[in-house]
Amino acid sequence: MNAVLAEPILGYREAFEAARPSFGPAEAARAAAFERFAELGFPSARDEAWKYTNLRRLAARRYPARNPDSTAVVLDDALTPFRLIVVDGLLRPELGTQGSPPAGLTLRALEVARRDGEPLSALLRVPAGGGTERFAALNAALCPDVLVIDVAPGTSPEPIEIDVAATGSEAGMSHPRVLIRAARGSTARVILRHVGDDAAERFVNAVADVEVGADAVLHLYRLLSQGDRSFHIERIEATVGQRGTFVMHDAQLGAGLGRLDLNVRLAAPEAATELTGLFLADGSRHLDTHLHVDHLAVGTRSLQDYRGVAAGRGRAVFNGKAIVHPGAQKSQARQTSRNLLLTPGAEIDTKPELEIYADDVQCNHGATTGQLDPAALFYLRSRGLSEQEARSALTRAFTGAVVSRMDHATFAEVVRDALDARLVRLLEAQP
Amino acid sequence: MLSIRNLHAQIGARKILKGLNLEVRAGEVHAIMGPNGSGKSTLASVLAGRAGYEVTAGTVEYLGQDLLEMAPEERARAGVFLAFQYPVEIPGVNNTYLLKAALNAVRKHRGAAELDAFEFLAMVREKMKLMQMDESFLSRGVNEGFSGGEKKRNEILQMAVLEPKLAVLDETDSGLDIDALRVVANGVNSLRGPDRAIVLVTHYQRLLDYIAPDFVHVLSDGRILKSGDKSLALELERRGYDWVRQEAQVA
Repeated sequence: MNAVLAEPILGYREAFEAARPSFGPAEAARAAAFERFAELGFPSARDEAWKYTNLRRLAARRYPARNPDSTAVVLDDALTPFRLIVVDGLLRPELGTQGSPPAGLTLRALEVARRDGEPLSALLRVPAGGGTERFAALNAALCPDVLVIDVAPGTSPEPIEIDVAATGSEAGMSHPRVLIRAARGSTARVILRHVGDDAAERFVNAVADVEVGADAVLHLYRLLSQGDRSFHIERIEATVGQRGTFVMHDAQLGAGLGRLDLNVRLAAPEAATELTGLFLADGSRHLDTHLHVDHLAVGTRSLQDYRGVAAGRGRAVFNGKAIVHPGAQKSQARQTSRNLLLTPGAEIDTKPELEIYADDVQCNHGATTGQLDPAALFYLRSRGLSEQEARSALTRAFTGAVVSRMDHATFAEVVRDALDARLVRLLEAQP
Repeated sequence: MLSIRNLHAQIGARKILKGLNLEVRAGEVHAIMGPNGSGKSTLASVLAGRAGYEVTAGTVEYLGQDLLEMAPEERARAGVFLAFQYPVEIPGVNNTYLLKAALNAVRKHRGAAELDAFEFLAMVREKMKLMQMDESFLSRGVNEGFSGGEKKRNEILQMAVLEPKLAVLDETDSGLDIDALRVVANGVNSLRGPDRAIVLVTHYQRLLDYIAPDFVHVLSDGRILKSGDKSLALELERRGYDWVRQEAQVA
């Protein structure tokens, strides 16, 4: 192991030792997870999965084990009638909607689920592989709790929202974790909103484990709006059962450095997934998205469709991968990555990848990176729109194609408004 | 209204306009005809301010202002309208949004108040009727998936909504069947008026059967070789362009 890269582990080990007494029966599982993190260490510059994203600044930091001063959170209006609030990794029932969750949903804490007989290996699972395995392991070691959400078989509960807030007036880290399971034949919608302000530097290391049962449909809406001084690393690991569908709508608007690894296993025949999203890397923001879909059974279908905008000194990375494994005949894999550079200094690195080990499949992929169409800009200006209005209209049209597919009206509205506000500022700042 | 003197323009090193002169007064309709490659579309593009055209000599004065110094949107707000030969498809930018934003920009420039949503819609509906356009066009993306004829109608609709002082129609007749041509011509004719000038750039005489011009100019090799009245168009239709060029050489 590289000695230079081992050094940052020490700070986390201190944090782990400090938290150890609170782990109770989960101590062994958490210790194993921590050792996995220590073994993998921070990625080096030679690590292919971190080719365009440098974590040197994060590796140089030391954060206390628990955020010492969780502060009051100022939250935006709820997007659904039932909302849960997680602050620095801990569910705070008193801040969320009072009363029972929508019919069909069960919420439990880690210790409750364990006492109900669920294995810790599932509740604190460390997903194997990918550039963020190390951080998912760190999360399993340090998460203060797991929010376990179960959708009962055959039910269609009302959508819920989970706001995951990072707080504190001093630099700190948090390791929020959710486990969402949609049982056979159920349909559910969950909004996951990561929020944080600029009051201090934060490291948010989030994990969402998702299981979609046979004939079940889970829609996950993710909004990333962390402060500019944040490092946000997230691993979403989903497994989809027979004829089940996992739909992800992702809007990445805020974070100093954001990295999402979204891994989907289409594990049974006719399992399907649709991953659509957008990212806006303006200012000096760095947003990195890695999608990975494994087609493991016959008749599985996947769609990856992301759009990215970069401006200023912003930088974004999109890496979409679909692997059609041997035996996954009659599968379909489609990938699209469209990217827009608003200013010359911005950069987006995109790489759609298909690996196909079956012969009877339909696959295609495409990636584009460009600037606003000069012909369209001139057309709009020739009708009297200012250059700024024309650029704004065309940029909104570009992102709107993704937003219009976010089939939760309130969520889509919040994303659209946030995008508009940012674009106005962005374009006004330009000469 | 529009005074073009000795206009020279080029794209890269290719010289296209080579000393063009044209005077257009309010209330007049001018047709500029000429063979392919004569510089017709370059003239329209230079008037609208499209990038990529370098004016190397000459002046263009519009209502006493130096038109060439104005940004494309300033020209539009000051009442210059170009109907595009190839209208651009802009998926995701709503037709209504464009009409409204454009109209408000022009009205603001004129010192008029913005129309409220009700007034705006009533006005647009009336103009759409004139252009025989279905209201469903309003909710679609600008020119998105429109047929050639629908795009041209949409251009004239925009012109009808914006009520420009100087309209330049670049090959608006190309690609239109006879019914669409009638609708487009009808739309243009409805905008004729003492305060408005219209410049029709066209390859064929056909459009002029429906929109009678006051003046016809023959553009060839970047210059206007001959000017006349409506009868010149008919003569061009009958005899082609070669005789005008020969006549010019002799002169």
